Amino acid sequence: MSRALALVALAALSLAACSRDSAEIGAKSGAGPVKGTLSKVLPFGKPAPAHPASPEQIAASALQSIEGPVLLAQFDNGAAVIFAERGRNGEMRTYLSPDGRSLSLRGGMIAATRGFGRDVMSSDTAQSADLISAQQGGTATRVQYYLDGDGRERPYPMACTIAPAEPITQTAGEQSLTVTPVTELCDPAKAQNSYMVNETGQIIASRQWIGPRMGYLTITVLRD
Amino acid sequence: MMAGLGLAASASSEPTTGYSFGTPGAPGLIDMPSAETRPAGEFSATVAARQGDSRASFNFQFAPRLSGTLRFSESEDLGAGGRKLKDRSFDLHWQVFDEAGWRPAIALGLRDIVGDSGQSSEYLVATKTLTPRLRASVGLGWGRLGTEGGSGGTRPAPSGDGGFNADQWFRGPVAPFAGLSFAASDRLTLKAEISSDAYTTEVGNGFERNTSLNFGADYKVNKSVSLGAYVLHGSEIGLQATIAMDPHDPPAPSGFEKAPLPVRPRAAAASDWSGAWSADPTARPAIQKALSDALKSDGQILEAMNLSATGVEVRVRNETYDARPQAIGHIARMLTRAMPASVEDFTITLVEKGMPVSSTRLRRSDIEAMENRPAHEFLARTQITEAGLGNEGFATSTTVYPRVKYAFSPYLELSSHQPGQSLHADIGLQAKAQIELTPGLLLSGTLRQKLVGNIADGTYSASGTSPAIVRSDINTYKSNSDLAVQNLTLAWYARPAANLYSRVTVGYLERMYGGISGELLWKPVASRLALGAEIDYVKKRDYEQHFSFADYETVSGHLSAYYDFGEGITGQLDLGRYLAEDWGATIAVDRELANGWKVGAFATLTDMSSAEFGDGAFDKGIRLSIPLSWAIGKPSLATFNQTLRPYSGDGGARVDVDGRLYDTIRSGHMGELYQNWGRVWR
Repeated sequence: MSRALALVALAALSLAACSRDSAEIGAKSGAGPVKGTLSKVLPFGKPAPAHPASPEQIAASALQSIEGPVLLAQFDNGAAVIFAERGRNGEMRTYLSPDGRSLSLRGGMIAATRGFGRDVMSSDTAQSADLISAQQGGTATRVQYYLDGDGRERPYPMACTIAPAEPITQTAGEQSLTVTPVTELCDPAKAQNSYMVNETGQIIASRQWIGPRMGYLTITVLRD
Repeated sequence: MMAGLGLAASASSEPTTGYSFGTPGAPGLIDMPSAETRPAGEFSATVAARQGDSRASFNFQFAPRLSGTLRFSESEDLGAGGRKLKDRSFDLHWQVFDEAGWRPAIALGLRDIVGDSGQSSEYLVATKTLTPRLRASVGLGWGRLGTEGGSGGTRPAPSGDGGFNADQWFRGPVAPFAGLSFAASDRLTLKAEISSDAYTTEVGNGFERNTSLNFGADYKVNKSVSLGAYVLHGSEIGLQATIAMDPHDPPAPSGFEKAPLPVRPRAAAASDWSGAWSADPTARPAIQKALSDALKSDGQILEAMNLSATGVEVRVRNETYDARPQAIGHIARMLTRAMPASVEDFTITLVEKGMPVSSTRLRRSDIEAMENRPAHEFLARTQITEAGLGNEGFATSTTVYPRVKYAFSPYLELSSHQPGQSLHADIGLQAKAQIELTPGLLLSGTLRQKLVGNIADGTYSASGTSPAIVRSDINTYKSNSDLAVQNLTLAWYARPAANLYSRVTVGYLERMYGGISGELLWKPVASRLALGAEIDYVKKRDYEQHFSFADYETVSGHLSAYYDFGEGITGQLDLGRYLAEDWGATIAVDRELANGWKVGAFATLTDMSSAEFGDGAFDKGIRLSIPLSWAIGKPSLATFNQTLRPYSGDGGARVDVDGRLYDTIRSGHMGELYQNWGRVWR
């Protein structure tokens, strides 16, 4: 084992080692979280897939067990996570997942994420949001902010083209729902965001680009 | 910016980045160098071994075009009379030009630039990317790299004084070498070279040099690990492994830790925000308790709170977040959830070792309006000031002190380098305990017990020339590791006046010295400059590191100036008397990234002569600090610190006392708060 690797492993071990603090700070940090995160860093051994249940099953059980607004978020690798609303601040609504990640949406568009490893720290999507909720075509600029590898805040400005498609009407019994698919293409990221917008201009489902090396998140509003 | 985010950047705009590492542990072919470089700031460790010869190399790309390699090697083929040659060498590689248009990349290099092993070499090499997968290198070598097919002159003999062998550089026979590297796939690289190294000493010891051709293959396991194999001169097979870490590319730049609870905005209109609650004597204790509990589960300690109808100041000890703005952001959000609506002004005072180090003043309405907005916009609405001193108006949390902490953990210890000795290591168990009696008064100790290792098997000798043996017998201390008391001290930290910090430490300060150490530091929160003074009266400890002393005692002391040049670069100058009663100065420069990686170099010149100092002439070295949070993607105050000295002598030695003031408070002052501010909403 190389010395550098040994050093890293030793540091992790020393954190995982037995410790006690009368102020009860850090009592929760045992070997579990360290092992979990180490496996993401070290070359061998990948974390096991976390969610064997299907998204439909997860959604159904979440709606039963959680009160209030609920989202279902799916990563491109198929992992599905439930987010329940934990805070509202003006137009921004913040949802938390059971494993402690958060997703903040402003008018249905990603305003920030936390706990994803390469989070959207903040975003300015006002121009895009106006066109999308009005189901209008046009161009807009948006800026997403990240922490770079050094740990400093960096803006990622993008120029986006927004194009609505024909509305789709779905009828289930006496209820009918009309949604307009809207696409937003953003360069230089070549991000292809897509939104389902209802007649009142609300985004009820979307697939949005989180950022470099993160890919997309598909967000479905299970209960608003 | 794009590269910083890991977006694909066009290859032509990047410096030529090495496909693989050569046997010397730097980017190159097999034994021969190339003009390639690694990403700026990257650290790598390479182990290369063949029958009878092994080496461990540590390579650091200091700057986009400049890298250095430190190598420890053991070779039976190079030793005299069948003994192993144990050596350590240092290389520099400078890429003069990168590839541009038709022009190849060109690099100059020096291998084994210190000492007199007779194996040193220099080169000038050009590398050209012929197709995206094929690169060719040609070059000229001197010294060891000019021994096969070389002509022209005689190389001067090594001076033998242990310093730089500059009088040999680019002198004597010069020989051409060449090679190809072909990226057969994204993971596999094949290499071939015509070597200009005659392996003169090795052949004398029985090495078969059948041809000048060497072949190798390198397989990238993942972004940081690669494995390789090579055939040398048609007779020997070798293996190597490299692990590379790029400080600019952590596994999770924003971390995997849990999201904080969001801001809770005040519901009603401002006219309804009555301060009438403040007349209720039960309100403050209830609020303090709730806030204290919330902070505790966030990994922070509420030490004291001063709450009025319209404003609150909290003194918080952050025990979790290496980026202090992240702690500040968490506290701010918790305050929006804990404080009555009439409380508009939030002052968050960070406390380190019982000392308030800075106050961050925020308006609650700004926090509500700017939650999860760009951090730099929020910074513009934030005031960072000197923390108020004294406890007037504060209600202190009574349940925290005395605070007892202890931890058992494994440790790894490496022997300090001595010429002719291999690197020895011990692994053992360490017990650390700390009792904080009141804020700033800390009783702490560390006890070690070796489990396995061979440091004690080495033969070590202290300096034969120094007027006082103060550090050159460090390995004798390291050899004694049965219930060794690493340190046992009582330390008292305080704020005697505005902008001033003080420390007094008494006890067994470090493994080699006990005594008393006092320090005073002047550092305004917003100042780039800090000034300090330290005086130590110490007595040398016995080798067993229990409670008895040897018969050497001295007073040493320093005046220090620290300067923050911005962009994470700090300089430090110390003037004073060192442990061997030598007078002089230390200059140090460190570069720290916001993510906590820190690399520095230092040198000390004193009135101890270089003859008295012995090998190396004066004390110097490099130091490296890697934050645990960088590696695991979760916040932590733990870091790994390593200091490498090419020679350990007795000149310019200082007491290694824990918790010096500048490093204790710096993370809470303006320079670092600004550098890390991007994490305020994390």
